[in-house]
Amino acid sequence: MSGPEIASGVQALLGGVRSAASPFRTYLKDLHRRFANDSEGRVADYIPELAKAKPEWFGISVATVNGLTFEVGDAQTDFTIQSVSKPFVFGLALEDNGRDHTLSRVGVEPTGDAFNSIIKLDTKSGRPQNPMVNAGAISTAGLVKGAHLTERFNRLGGMLSRYAGRSLPVDMAVYTSERSTGHRNRALAHLMLNFGMIDPNVDETLDLYFQQCSVLINARDLAMMGATLANGGVNPLTKEQAIAPEYVQDVLSVMYSCGMYDYTGEWSYRVGLPAKSGVGGGVVAVVPRVMAIAVFSPLLDERGNSVRALKVCEAISKDLGLHLLAHSPNRRRLTELLPGIVD
Amino acid sequence: MGKVISIHSFRGGTGKSNLTANLSATLAARGYRVGVFDTDVASPGIHVLFGINDVPASASLNAYFWGNCSIQDAAVDVMPALEGAGVPVSASGALYLVPASIETGEIARILHDGYDVGLLNDGILGLMDHYDLDFVFVDTHPGVNEETLLSIAISEVTIIILRPDQQDLQGTAVTIELARQLECKNLQLIVNKAHRNADHAVMKASVEQKLGAPVIEVIALSDDMVQFGSGGVYCMRFPDHDYSQAVGRVADCLVAAGTASQLSDRRVS
Ligand SMILES: Nc1ncnc2c1ncn2[C@@H]1O[C@H](COP(=O)(O)OP(=O)(O)O)[C@@H](O)[C@H]1O
Ligand SMILES: [Mg+2]
Repeated sequence: MSGPEIASGVQALLGGVRSAASPFRTYLKDLHRRFANDSEGRVADYIPELAKAKPEWFGISVATVNGLTFEVGDAQTDFTIQSVSKPFVFGLALEDNGRDHTLSRVGVEPTGDAFNSIIKLDTKSGRPQNPMVNAGAISTAGLVKGAHLTERFNRLGGMLSRYAGRSLPVDMAVYTSERSTGHRNRALAHLMLNFGMIDPNVDETLDLYFQQCSVLINARDLAMMGATLANGGVNPLTKEQAIAPEYVQDVLSVMYSCGMYDYTGEWSYRVGLPAKSGVGGGVVAVVPRVMAIAVFSPLLDERGNSVRALKVCEAISKDLGLHLLAHSPNRRRLTELLPGIVD
Repeated sequence: MGKVISIHSFRGGTGKSNLTANLSATLAARGYRVGVFDTDVASPGIHVLFGINDVPASASLNAYFWGNCSIQDAAVDVMPALEGAGVPVSASGALYLVPASIETGEIARILHDGYDVGLLNDGILGLMDHYDLDFVFVDTHPGVNEETLLSIAISEVTIIILRPDQQDLQGTAVTIELARQLECKNLQLIVNKAHRNADHAVMKASVEQKLGAPVIEVIALSDDMVQFGSGGVYCMRFPDHDYSQAVGRVADCLVAAGTASQLSDRRVS
């Protein structure tokens, strides 16, 4: 081992010990216990691979900008990223194309419609309304640069991996399943081609999109990805830049206004944090400059959001005073549980 | 809330387990409520000093780690072992030991599989809460590992024992460096097994200067202790011996550390 490797090994060991000794870990354990027996919601079954998820799976992970990581329950159980990938790919599209061109292909206006609603394009421009609905996400994937599918996916996968701090695999079974059953998404893509919102290599872009949704992550990865956004685009552990700092606000803004499907308004009102949800059962909520909370539980409500995740995030936001729009949030509890994290 | 005191050494055979047993017994005899954790899961032994020969695998720190028993079920009341040894024992004192299993299979399993150190934190705080303890001592495996560092991170006072030996000195510097990185609040050194002819004051000053941390006690190598050979809790049998007196002074320091006033009203003289 080299000097820096040993040093980072020591830091990892110390970090593990710090979080094991932290009262925040106890807080998260209690929270996990509180919702573990709550079996509201049902597992997604629109593709057979997702239906294999166990209803009892439940993991919480938190990563802070100063490099502490916490995990309780099934935080290392893999699930597919699904829609949670969308804001991150939006960030890559912005880096590849700049704001003007990106926004000519996809808007940033909430729809209030369900995630898979067939289409609602801006009446004048034919532009999908935001990068979080499927039409907008496909158009966003279309903006990812690269000479061919492999290069484009390597760039996209590499970007997600830099956020997570480890190389993320693709679940081939889910990918194949999405690819062979994604008729609705194919229809959306062709409709957008008709409107000139997507380049003619539609099939390639769809393949890229299906791969993007089939990336395997766990709650720990998701918390790191969120913490990277909370930390100005720099992964708090690897210190790698996953997105240019100037685009972090773009990503967080669409998460805040459109991240939780047609529950986003109520979520922003109750929880007050930019967040993103996926039908794989993952939710990530970002507390800018502080930390990110990731919850994995495949029991979904009728809008496609993980029920336990909604409850956990709402509880943490209330307990620790995290609502971003609160005038004078009571952050005493946060400072007690995570000393040195906020000034 | 009680205090966690962790006892470390960089190398084995330094005197951790004997010091832990003697300190915890001294405080329990004075009327404090005390717990002891044997986190030396690779080479457990402190139970022997409290007169325990068999540690049932079903009620041990190991069993707690595997989720097979609660932390209070893993704790043995060792107060009776102190009584009748000669030193009067206060009726308000309590002493609970959480032993580590000495079965070969259990030791092999824990070394191979490892365990979630967070559970050690939960166990220590859980036992403290359950029995309303004033002190919890953590006896550790020599060197640096995850549970050593965890016990440093959660302790009010960290004691590192070393012998007047170059290898001990060098290794102790490593532990001190890591303890500092964990924002260790109160770190104290004890020099054990000093030569009886050595000038303790000179030795204290030289170790303090080399390691940059305070030495609370220099304890002489004692033929009597060697002969006693971990045959019990020494200070309960020979309270007037130099070793026992030294242990008594360290106990005074621990009582004084932090919130001493709140604890003192428990003492029954
Ligand atoms: N001050 C001392 N003088 C002589 N022998 C001692 C002294 N302190 C400890 N010992 C002996 O050293 C041996 C190792 O002690 P122990 O407490 O088991 O160390 P550790 O737990 O650090 O491995 C035991 O036989 C013990 O009786
Ligand atoms: Mg020992």
